Amino acid sequence: MTAEMIVVGVFVVVAVAGAVMAVRSQQILHNIIGLGISLFGIAGLFLQLGSPFVAAMQVLIYIGGIVVAIVFAMMLSMAMTINPPARNLPKTIFAAIGSGLFFAGLVGLLSKTQFATRPTAGDEAWAVSRIGNALLEHYNLVFETLSVVLLLAIVGAILIARRDKTPA
Amino acid sequence: MTLEMYLLLSAVLFCLGLFGALAQRNLIAVLIGVELMMNAASLNFMAFNRFSVTDPSTGQVFVLIIIGLAAAEVAIFLSIILNLYRQRRTIDPESITELRY
Repeated sequence: MTAEMIVVGVFVVVAVAGAVMAVRSQQILHNIIGLGISLFGIAGLFLQLGSPFVAAMQVLIYIGGIVVAIVFAMMLSMAMTINPPARNLPKTIFAAIGSGLFFAGLVGLLSKTQFATRPTAGDEAWAVSRIGNALLEHYNLVFETLSVVLLLAIVGAILIARRDKTPA
Repeated sequence: MTLEMYLLLSAVLFCLGLFGALAQRNLIAVLIGVELMMNAASLNFMAFNRFSVTDPSTGQVFVLIIIGLAAAEVAIFLSIILNLYRQRRTIDPESITELRY
């Protein structure tokens, strides 16, 4: 058992345990903390998969931006002070059956499929400058479209969450 | 870790997120389930990017775009939740049934 395997195992355990906490708990704050823990574990796996830049973006944007935004929404909508409604038992059972069936299907597919693997590219192909070049040359249209989508999302969020109901 | 182990892990995360999105009784918790599913997808992209793609910048660009789209999605979702809470004083998805029938 090498040190690398131990590190990967720790990240896997953190990701799965965080996800279980995010789904299982009834307290909304615990769900959000579980999501943060799970995202952190996945960022560690990204690091292990050879991409420190994407791992850093995961921590910065997901944990630093999205989880904090969810915490703000939780505070503004008083989700913490409202008594959490009890689980709807039939709904929970059907949700467990449905996601369990989906998981069984995925595992069945995984065990049947033979994936083509190639040797990993050299270190210089993993450089951050390669990502920048790909974004601004080959994937230029996607990059610009994403910026427009983000702008529209911000404008739409302001419009929806505005306090007065008269249209501008 | 091999490719299959990463794919299995992301299947586990996806199904946990799916269960959360279906069974939770709080719209913020439903959003958390959706976020877990998105992260399982990006973990898949990164695993394939590592083990079976010749140009590794492709999958990283994909994952960055997924993160950007998730940010946009969360902004809209949260503003809808805030507006809903202001008008109905509830964020239980089972009590919002006006458009059901």
